[in-house]
Amino acid sequence: PPETRAAAQTRSGPAPVTDVAKLCVCDLLVAQCDVNCCCDPDCSAADFSLFTTCSVPIVTGDNRLCSQKAAVYSLDVEANPPERIFKLTDQVNPSVFCIHATNYKQALSFSSPQMPTSENFDQLLEEFGSATFSAEPDSWNMNTDAQNPSDANETRRYEYGVPIQTADAFLRLPSPVISSWCSDANPAGFLVNQATKCTRSVSVGNCGNIQAVSMLFYIDSSILAVNITVQSVVVQSLNGMRTLLNGSDVLRLPMILDELCINIVLGVSYHITYTDTGEIIEAAASFVLGAINKEALSIQQSFEISFTQVNTKPAPRSGNPGYVVGLPVRAGFRPQGYPFPVEILFNTNKYGQLTILQSTSSQDCLTAQGARTPVLFGYNMVSGCKLRITAAMKCQPLTQTLLDLLKGQTFPEYVASFGNSQAQDVLDWVPITHLQASEQRIYNTFQSSCQIPVSLEIEVKWTKYGSLVNPQARIVDVTATITTTTLKQLPSGRERTIPVTSSVVFTDISSPAEPGYKAWPTINVKLPFDFFFPFV
Amino acid sequence: NSYQLSSLPLQILFYVNGIYYIFYFLATLAMIVYKSDVFSYPDDFLAPDLALLFIMAVLEVLRLHLGSKGNLTEEEAPLGLSLVITVGSVILAVYFLVWQTYVLKADVILNALLLFTYGLESVLKVVAIAAFVS
Repeated sequence: PPETRAAAQTRSGPAPVTDVAKLCVCDLLVAQCDVNCCCDPDCSAADFSLFTTCSVPIVTGDNRLCSQKAAVYSLDVEANPPERIFKLTDQVNPSVFCIHATNYKQALSFSSPQMPTSENFDQLLEEFGSATFSAEPDSWNMNTDAQNPSDANETRRYEYGVPIQTADAFLRLPSPVISSWCSDANPAGFLVNQATKCTRSVSVGNCGNIQAVSMLFYIDSSILAVNITVQSVVVQSLNGMRTLLNGSDVLRLPMILDELCINIVLGVSYHITYTDTGEIIEAAASFVLGAINKEALSIQQSFEISFTQVNTKPAPRSGNPGYVVGLPVRAGFRPQGYPFPVEILFNTNKYGQLTILQSTSSQDCLTAQGARTPVLFGYNMVSGCKLRITAAMKCQPLTQTLLDLLKGQTFPEYVASFGNSQAQDVLDWVPITHLQASEQRIYNTFQSSCQIPVSLEIEVKWTKYGSLVNPQARIVDVTATITTTTLKQLPSGRERTIPVTSSVVFTDISSPAEPGYKAWPTINVKLPFDFFFPFV
Repeated sequence: NSYQLSSLPLQILFYVNGIYYIFYFLATLAMIVYKSDVFSYPDDFLAPDLALLFIMAVLEVLRLHLGSKGNLTEEEAPLGLSLVITVGSVILAVYFLVWQTYVLKADVILNALLLFTYGLESVLKVVAIAAFVS
């Protein structure tokens, strides 16, 4: 249409200024005099007399040209009042390689970029639209064609957080929005483990009509070439008792039976298996079906989605890959009896990992046995209790009790170096070093009294690993130091209270970033050994 | 020596021209490499410049060979052909003097010297041809 074409023509950029006398880089304020800017046309002679120096002493074109015009500005401070001197001179480049002439117009100046119009928009988008500019847009054409597969028939690679696509829309995970009522528009994101609970209004009368309480609604859509299989079905009776059904391939739809509506979906748990390239290869759903009676007006549904990488055991990660502050430090054991450690066994239960004694309100060690708290990355912790020692206590059982108290029932041998270390990568696990220290500085060689452990200090040394802009926390070393003290024999009837402490300290041992400079290339020239024959 | 029609100055000039041209070719090639490194020298402009330089080298070899042969054997045909090729060489020298992508001061000096040599040679060739024909 003619009006847009006219508009496109008037929308061109301003013409480039090439006259050095008219070019002024320091003239920033419009219609106002810039301070110390000798080339500013808005300044009067009175303004010039107040300047101290010229911020732009010379304006030239490219100084590689053999001869070019130069505008020289200077302040004559000898005169009273100081005045500005403007000279238009010819600057000569004495080098023999100065540019005498050039037949290539864009050689010495920045070219004005093309204004996008409806005609050249596609070509400009091809040239400048990607992450790198291409000088030859035609050579990139083949690449973009090859990267446009028909998405529907091929497996799609997902990135973290991207909604999982199904045949018609996204995989939905109903969740409460603002109020506690279920909203079906919440898509599930890849690798985002979610668990939601929401309320849905359903009654016996319309339980057959509401789609969201029937199993079919949740397994009907296929996740782009992968069908959602039913992994297990648990039936919950009206009084809350749950039974696992044997045959899980029968689809149970809601139906009315004896004034109850049965096979209502109370919970769905999706398990998605993915490969390490981000493709989804398996999807399974576990259902909890229940029943409602006449008086029920709404039910609470719970939904969960979890992602497992193929060929790995699902384990809660404490960071990916570096540890996240506040998440538990993962620890495990090496199975005994194997000549080569195959994999580290660890308990997915939070409390089966690295734990320390938890202080209780009673402060008595013996009554608070068993209370432990998991060690969270980045959180230094100190805990303790008081132990009452009577004369009747024997050394060896007391030592064993205190060791159990400090270390817990299962003190792990290895700590995961990264938050997402897999059990089968043995090199990703750091062994815990055990040290023993004694409280007494002076060692009495005749000491035959017993040493009881009173303190456990776990020092976790971690470093920043990876790129400078996104450093990941990596545990490098874990040392558990048990400090012992002498148990002096008490006269009978007397009691003593000793404090027992345990602490966890996280130390950052990352070395500061150093700049790395590329080494100068060296010339490797070696003369043959008989070069100076016959003199050598 | 009335029996010797070959022109001695022309032969000397051919010899000097040959040596000078070798220097000219290497210097121009080196300067094109320097220009493509320091300035913005896209392939569309670099290719013609390089191609013409190599064509000029080929023409120069042919021209000097024919001219030298014609002068020594006192035949006007090779000398005349050499004169015709000189016209082509002059055009190429003018290209490198004026129409090249980047003309540096060194280019101007080299090409001016080359053109001066061509001019002198052409005059001497015409004189020699006249001497051979008559």
